[in-house]
Amino acid sequence: MASDEAKDVESSSRFHTTRWSVILSSLEQGEDKTRARVALSHLCRTYWRPVFAFLCRLGYSIPDAQDLTQDFFVMILNGNFLERANPERGRFRSLLLTSLQHFLKDAHAKRTARKRGGEVELISWDEWMAEAPSRLTVPAQALESWSPERIFDVRWAATVAERSLRSLQEECASLGRQRVFDALQGALIASREEVSYEALSRELGVGVPELRNALHRLRQRYRQLLRSEVAATMENPDKVDTELRYLVAALAAGGH
Amino acid sequence: MNLAGLTDSLAAWRSDAAACPECGANVEVGHGLCLGCLLGIGDGDDQLTGEEFRAALSAVAVADTHWRLGNYEVLEEIGRGGMGVIYRARQRHSRRIVALKRILSYHSDSRETLARFRRETEAAASLDHPHILPIYEVGESDDGVPYFSMKYASGGNLQEVSPALRADPREIVRLIAKVTRAVQEAHRQGILHRDLKPGNILLDGNGEPLVTDFGLAKWLDASSDLTRSLTIFGTPGYIAPEQAEGPSAEVTASADIYSIGAILFDLLAGRPPFLGEHALAVIRQASTNSAPKLRSLVRHADRDLETVCARCLEREPQARYASAADLAEDLERWLEGRSIVARPLAFPTRLSRWSRRKPALAASLAGLFLLGGVILVRQLESRRLAATVLANQEATFSIAALPLLDLDQGTPDPVLAEAITIALREDLRQLGPARVTLLGETSPFWADTANVDDLREANRSSHSRTILTGSKRVVGDKLRISLRLLSAGTGEPLFARSVETSPDPAAIRGALQGLARPLHDILNAKDWSALSIRGRDPGWRDERAREFIVAGRQLMFRDGTANLDRSIRCLEEAIKLQPKSASAHAYLAATCGGRMHLQWDSQLLARAEHEARLALALEPELPDAHRSLAGVLGQKEEFAAAVQEQLRAIETGGAEEFVCSLLGQTYISLGQPARALQWLGLARHWASRPGDYDALIGNCWVQLGDDARAEKAFRRAAELQPQASDGWIGLSFLRLLQGQFAAARAIVAANQSEEKGSDTHPAEIAAQIAFFERRVEEAERLYRALAERDPHNGIGCWAEVSYDSALGRLEQMANREAAGLTTLREARAKELHSPSGVHSGADFYRLAALSASLGEKSVALDYLNNAVEAGWSDARSPRLDPRFDSLRDDDRFREFLVKLSARIDFMRKAALEQSAVFAAHRAAGAVKP
Repeated sequence: MASDEAKDVESSSRFHTTRWSVILSSLEQGEDKTRARVALSHLCRTYWRPVFAFLCRLGYSIPDAQDLTQDFFVMILNGNFLERANPERGRFRSLLLTSLQHFLKDAHAKRTARKRGGEVELISWDEWMAEAPSRLTVPAQALESWSPERIFDVRWAATVAERSLRSLQEECASLGRQRVFDALQGALIASREEVSYEALSRELGVGVPELRNALHRLRQRYRQLLRSEVAATMENPDKVDTELRYLVAALAAGGH
Repeated sequence: MNLAGLTDSLAAWRSDAAACPECGANVEVGHGLCLGCLLGIGDGDDQLTGEEFRAALSAVAVADTHWRLGNYEVLEEIGRGGMGVIYRARQRHSRRIVALKRILSYHSDSRETLARFRRETEAAASLDHPHILPIYEVGESDDGVPYFSMKYASGGNLQEVSPALRADPREIVRLIAKVTRAVQEAHRQGILHRDLKPGNILLDGNGEPLVTDFGLAKWLDASSDLTRSLTIFGTPGYIAPEQAEGPSAEVTASADIYSIGAILFDLLAGRPPFLGEHALAVIRQASTNSAPKLRSLVRHADRDLETVCARCLEREPQARYASAADLAEDLERWLEGRSIVARPLAFPTRLSRWSRRKPALAASLAGLFLLGGVILVRQLESRRLAATVLANQEATFSIAALPLLDLDQGTPDPVLAEAITIALREDLRQLGPARVTLLGETSPFWADTANVDDLREANRSSHSRTILTGSKRVVGDKLRISLRLLSAGTGEPLFARSVETSPDPAAIRGALQGLARPLHDILNAKDWSALSIRGRDPGWRDERAREFIVAGRQLMFRDGTANLDRSIRCLEEAIKLQPKSASAHAYLAATCGGRMHLQWDSQLLARAEHEARLALALEPELPDAHRSLAGVLGQKEEFAAAVQEQLRAIETGGAEEFVCSLLGQTYISLGQPARALQWLGLARHWASRPGDYDALIGNCWVQLGDDARAEKAFRRAAELQPQASDGWIGLSFLRLLQGQFAAARAIVAANQSEEKGSDTHPAEIAAQIAFFERRVEEAERLYRALAERDPHNGIGCWAEVSYDSALGRLEQMANREAAGLTTLREARAKELHSPSGVHSGADFYRLAALSASLGEKSVALDYLNNAVEAGWSDARSPRLDPRFDSLRDDDRFREFLVKLSARIDFMRKAALEQSAVFAAHRAAGAVKP
């Protein structure tokens, strides 16, 4: 199934159609817009949490935030979001946030959102959350001090990282190595000397050299998946590193 | 601040904010992974081929073994306790995400342990409440370890969101009130939780609470060695002192009330009522000290909430709220801004507590104090009452009326409901302030609904304390109006009454006059728990009898004779303990009836009827008793009487999926497909499994000759339940009736490979096509195979082609006339002496087919007329069926078919009109404000 995929992950077919760059270029070349819309709706489904978190942080009630999130995506998928000439369109993230802010300023949009009361559902919230649960934890004092924009960015970063982890987990499971992933995932970010290969070796009953190599490969693969995930939101995939640096900076204490 | 959204928008907020030593960020995703580090892993180290990756993982030779559990694909481990482990998993066919719990394998060595786990899990699975986390399935893995699957709650749990909740007492009380209602429902079913704590209260995607692990704490929780050695289960800080002191047998519902109080306290104060260095210290404190006052920790806390907490946290179980219902009531009163019922501990109670410690002195002082104490309390109470009574009364005496269900039509009747609303409003206001409103613009499915979701929805739009609904039907020359008053919060029935009156408005108005007083009394009553039929039933009140009843009822729904026999024994035990328990008799009747279904036994049938009638003698208004009797009558093929009992079940208990589907099926047997459609339509609306009734609905449309609607229904059945055969078989039969043999065969060919072991229907339809198509050899081969495999002889199949009648006719067609005649004669003798008698249209139709094959034309025609009288309504099969060949040229047969067709045309028109009426109601209901 995934036989040709890993040669060059960045060009793997899996991400091809939902890439932001592909969506943009297909529009420029006047190709079929429905395909671009379908691709866009995939991206929106991936990145709904930052939007929802942003709205919650602004103080909307849960049902209102849910309705507004749904309405915002409906607006994006039906409106002229894609056509809008915008210097920020190079990054899906920036364009989404700017559009969200415009959307909220539009009092009319808010009114209709209330009235419609969420009858347009892209997908049910429960399913949405169950399919890709998030385990983000944030220090309590951040609750008051972080701006909605920063929360949007942190949520974005978490989505990228959690999706990459999940892809890695799925790849391991498809190779029959779910247990290995479970045992090693905690060590993904540990520095080399911190990892207790002996303990892991006892737990799993395999040799230390194999474990060491597997962890090394898991990290590499994770990095590939992460870059792929980020690249999918960029017009210019060369700028993946810049985007990653931006997301790291959003996390660092004292920002915003 | 918006709270529930945090559960997923920002997930949990940690109170400690240790920065990552590597990167300095302080945000984590699952498994304690620092998000900053995750973004920076392996920077600049991207060279890896798929081959290398796979090779590296393959080299770690630890293959996954248990990532399939029954029907589930395990996705990840999400929790682990002392004895159990929890996974996020995906159900294979539905693709639904679930949470899956199982015992860790090293606890599974004892059969007894496993059996107990299974028993208790199944008890918990029987709970059905919007705020109880539903258990979907209890199963067993290949290695014999039981597991269960339940709803995956995506919003985390109360413990995780508690820091964020603290600023919002209203939200806290709103959540806890719902939790309390859930606990109330479990108590009603005789199940205690025993380990309520914030971690056991999950949140769904909308931030609504879902209580989990009822009665299962000991299986799933990481109890410390200390607590386990004390053989108590529960979490220090939240468990009641008596739970820590005594054996678990003495623990009652009030232990759960204590725990709810402790949770409420914790959420409001930011810590549980008792703290200690270790578990034992906490438990000791709870059993020796009084709980601290909430306002001693949180100065600005609400005084009433302090009282509520204190009442829950009383050390004496008797001093706490008497029931979860009372606690929920108080919490809801607080939310509505009304005064709570609980008082700070009154003087007499303190006195009695003190007297227990100093009995001698107290006895001598008692006489002196008693009088003064009583007067003081009375004064306090009355002053407080006077201040709030006016504000509360209208809300207390509030009723929202839903449309009535017209049982003759199966459609809602908002007009009568409006008349009743106006009459009741007038009459109740004679007795004091009251609010009676009509929920007129509602879904047509709300009429007389017993569906909890519907009631919840109705409650949401009415804000009334109670809901009034019911049904009407014509009985002789009278109109029978049956009304039910339900608690808006729980859907629990509080009152049910039927009145019969002349159908003119003045008479109806007169008949309603006697209602206001009893309704007023109910609304005025403090405790509703004794009002329900269950509250009156000694079987539900006696703890041991109740256990037998609950067990018996659960076993009743399981497959296999062994389970039904066990169910019968349980219910017999219950009756031994409480001979006057109507519920026990009703369930015993149902179980005997169910057992009968598997194997005909006229004694058992007589017993079922006896038990059902006994139940009705004890409690004439018990819906379950009416259902049981209806089942018995259905088996005796007394369908008209069965319909009456099913209607009584609705009149006493409201309309829901099960009873509506049975009514539909009974009307099919009565040859009234138009009526059947109305009820099956309602059943389909409430169907717990989509697609359950579509094939039946298709059958009705086939009978009515509306092939387009039939086809649509069969397609829907096939689509929604691809594993079942009903849908495609219906389609195939439809093609057969249309004379499109090739198409009918093609459908069978495309689907038959999926044939399941015990399901003979696919083989039956294949045989029937061959038979009608007159492919004699093939048909005979197929019917012989069926006759060997299935003792039911094909009775009840499409067109009622019993195997022996087909075989006899086929022998004739193969020029073995003598053998054919013998087979047919034997078959007819069998039919005539059938243990269930000859009653139904189908019975007469089979006799007609046999007689026609035997060449007895006049007898056959008589039977055909009998069949139509008893409800047979298929005019197309006889035209194709080779068994009627001898009548083919008979004018009387032709005339018969023309008449039957005309009758069916008439029924079809009626059915279409009905469905237009219903659609109009639906359209009107859909335009909700």
